Amino acid sequence: MLKYILKRLALLVPVIIGVSVLVFLVMHVFTTDPASIILGQHATAEQVEKLREELGLNKPLYVQYFMFMKGVLHGNFGNSLITKTSVTNEILSRFPATIELALVAIIIASIFGILMGILSAVKQNSIVDYISMFVSLIGVSMPIFWLGLMLIVLFSVKLHLLPVSGRITIGMEPIHITGLYLIDSLVSGNMAAFKDSLKHLILPSIALASYSTAIIARMTRSTMLEIIQQDYIRTARAKGLFEKTVILKHALRNALIPITTVIGLQLGSLLGGAVLTETVFSWPGVGSYTIDAILKSDYPVVQGAVMIFATVFVLVNLVVDLLYAYLDPRIKYS
Amino acid sequence: MKKKVLALIMSTIVTSTLFLTGCGGGANKPANSTSQNAAKTLIYAQGSDPRGLDPAYVDDGESAKVIVNVYEGLLKYKDGSTELEPCLAKSWDISKDGKEYTFKLREGVKFHDGTPFNADAVKYNIERQLPPNVKEDMPYASFTFGEVQKVEKIDDYTVKIILKQPYTPFLANLAMCLAAPMASPEAIKKNNGNINEAPVGTGPFKFVSWKKGEAITLEKNNDYWGDKAKVDKVIFKITKENSVRASELMTGSIDIMDGVDPNDVQKIKDSKMNIFNEKGMNINYMAFNCSRAPFNDAKLRQAICYAINREELVKYLYQGFADVAYTALPSFIPGFNDKIKSYEYNPEKAKQLLKEAGKENLQIKMIAYSNPRPYNPVNGQKLAESIQNYLSKVGIKATIDVYPWKEYKEKIAQGEGDILFYGWTGDNGDADNFLSLFDSKEIKSTLNSAKYSNPKVDELLAKGRKTPNGEERNNIYKQIQDIVDKDAPWLTISYAKDMAAYSPKVKNFKIHPTGVAFLKDVDKE
Repeated sequence: MLKYILKRLALLVPVIIGVSVLVFLVMHVFTTDPASIILGQHATAEQVEKLREELGLNKPLYVQYFMFMKGVLHGNFGNSLITKTSVTNEILSRFPATIELALVAIIIASIFGILMGILSAVKQNSIVDYISMFVSLIGVSMPIFWLGLMLIVLFSVKLHLLPVSGRITIGMEPIHITGLYLIDSLVSGNMAAFKDSLKHLILPSIALASYSTAIIARMTRSTMLEIIQQDYIRTARAKGLFEKTVILKHALRNALIPITTVIGLQLGSLLGGAVLTETVFSWPGVGSYTIDAILKSDYPVVQGAVMIFATVFVLVNLVVDLLYAYLDPRIKYS
Repeated sequence: MKKKVLALIMSTIVTSTLFLTGCGGGANKPANSTSQNAAKTLIYAQGSDPRGLDPAYVDDGESAKVIVNVYEGLLKYKDGSTELEPCLAKSWDISKDGKEYTFKLREGVKFHDGTPFNADAVKYNIERQLPPNVKEDMPYASFTFGEVQKVEKIDDYTVKIILKQPYTPFLANLAMCLAAPMASPEAIKKNNGNINEAPVGTGPFKFVSWKKGEAITLEKNNDYWGDKAKVDKVIFKITKENSVRASELMTGSIDIMDGVDPNDVQKIKDSKMNIFNEKGMNINYMAFNCSRAPFNDAKLRQAICYAINREELVKYLYQGFADVAYTALPSFIPGFNDKIKSYEYNPEKAKQLLKEAGKENLQIKMIAYSNPRPYNPVNGQKLAESIQNYLSKVGIKATIDVYPWKEYKEKIAQGEGDILFYGWTGDNGDADNFLSLFDSKEIKSTLNSAKYSNPKVDELLAKGRKTPNGEERNNIYKQIQDIVDKDAPWLTISYAKDMAAYSPKVKNFKIHPTGVAFLKDVDKE
């Protein structure tokens, strides 16, 4: 097992290098020159060229790439071209917001996705099944930004139930421990901050969870349907076990294996894909920071953020694979 | 056991969700109505984080909005116009040759860190933006202080700035919200020359904190030398989406927002919120490539101008959120020529002029940008298509090539297109800032995008830069506008309006024509 883990970690290196080359080329070739953006409408060609020289942007691309990767090997993604602040620090300071949103979203998606999937499978071809699958179809089809805006209009503007945007009411932030407001407020006993941050989390996490819920529901349904047809399920029923025991203890246990994989993959993509949700709800996470950086051609920020997301995605996949082996004793990695 | 655990988790989630949403009454309580009842807090929502809060290092509007409330310059703009009045300088003299400016500084003013504002502070602030100290990424250093040769301290409260040559717009530069505001030299030194995240000025509000992507908090400066601010705190909240900002305003989470989407205006008004919609300091125009045929012929340019119904175009494209422009200068800038209203829509006259020039079936190429711009909230392509439509009615076939902004500027530099679309957002409220776009010296820099060259205009521009502010100077710029109007290197289209929305609880709110909001006099019930 250890060998397998080490092998997988070693594979992380070519993945990260590939991602870094791709994002480096896209940013340098297809986006506006950051020197022009920094210097604004008065910039003369000479001034732009001087700034490019100061920022090292006039060097050949391969030289710029190697200098960047040299910094990365020391854990340094450089400074933002626009704000001059450390990219590493800025990303790290925003990561808890993204993690918190993604974790709550995946919890919602897992619970509701699995429940809907089980109900659909058990009540196949019934009205419950049709409604569940229709809801999942909406979940995979509906654009997240549109869903987010509609949730705001309904729950915030019309019903005044929940806040419009942001992570917490300004001035109510709990003491910084982990950066996850729910945990920090619980640990520090600040229940007002806990309630407030939970209220702020509801709409963005529902919006973010919508697609994953649908995917998990559909996967659960199809896996459960397959398993319910198996001989051992028939045997369990023949033995006189309660239907709930058959479904939840025997069928679901085996169905959880592929479902766990899907959940893990969804978590990986939620961490990187919260961009739209963060933008709509002004959630101060890495996604919205990256979008701003793309629009301003802030190369170091985009490169750093994309590489970190890629690393997280690969590591999450590794954890999911290991969990897979834990859940299914038949699977052994060597 | 596992079933019980699962059931417990589910019921906890459902119960807590019901509990929390059941406490709906307080869900949208804004920050200023919680425990901070004693502190009057104004919440202003804008679309993105400032680039930074050091006036020497930024050039974006989001930074300017915060900066103007924390810092001040030697001069400031009068309410509602770009005329100048004293601020940190209480008076000034200009030498006869126009090169020496002697400022008497306001005494007893302190920076927010307690250090004194004086001649040393002025000298430090300007010299850090001059060679050899100036950094390459100070975007407005050369525009603001490029003509400065030397700064001399005469005494603690008198400073003399010597220019390389007479340059009247220099005074207007000193009122700008970028580069010109005075920052605490101590703070600058303590922060390695860059106070982007630790601003210290003399303004009516002091910086408290900046949570990136969330909010910037300012508090009232109780030691301010002038009238104190009416509110205790200002929070600049960052909300990216225009419609989400509108929702926050309508739910009472914020007090003021800018970046109002025209599509949201009606629903904002329906929610009993106020809309501020006033002239902006910009110009949106269509330019002819005057460097070559066919539009090196002024008569042909005039013919095209008669073919376009500007009033209808602006009404249709901008839906009341822009004013028709008959000249390059916005009306509130001294030197505006209100007599110019040429090229009233007359397609018959256009056809006749085209016939006289032998160009009845002219075929031309237009280039446009694909994105919206501050002076053109719809994108360049839409504007070009509208123009194309008018031109087709007088027999002119125009093709449109559309480019992303970066590439578009390169195409302009290369001289592509017989007609192009461009615009300008003013910097210092001085007429020279706009009319220099007709200076033949600016052809190389592409600021003179039409490649227009008229020695008389060049001469008048040079004269205007040396003439002291007043009626004589204004007349020079009126004359320039007359000449340019006849030569028609551009067809001016519109001035985009500055728009904001605010709660009825907010009093005295307005956006200054320079595009920023001074919040000192804003009050809240």
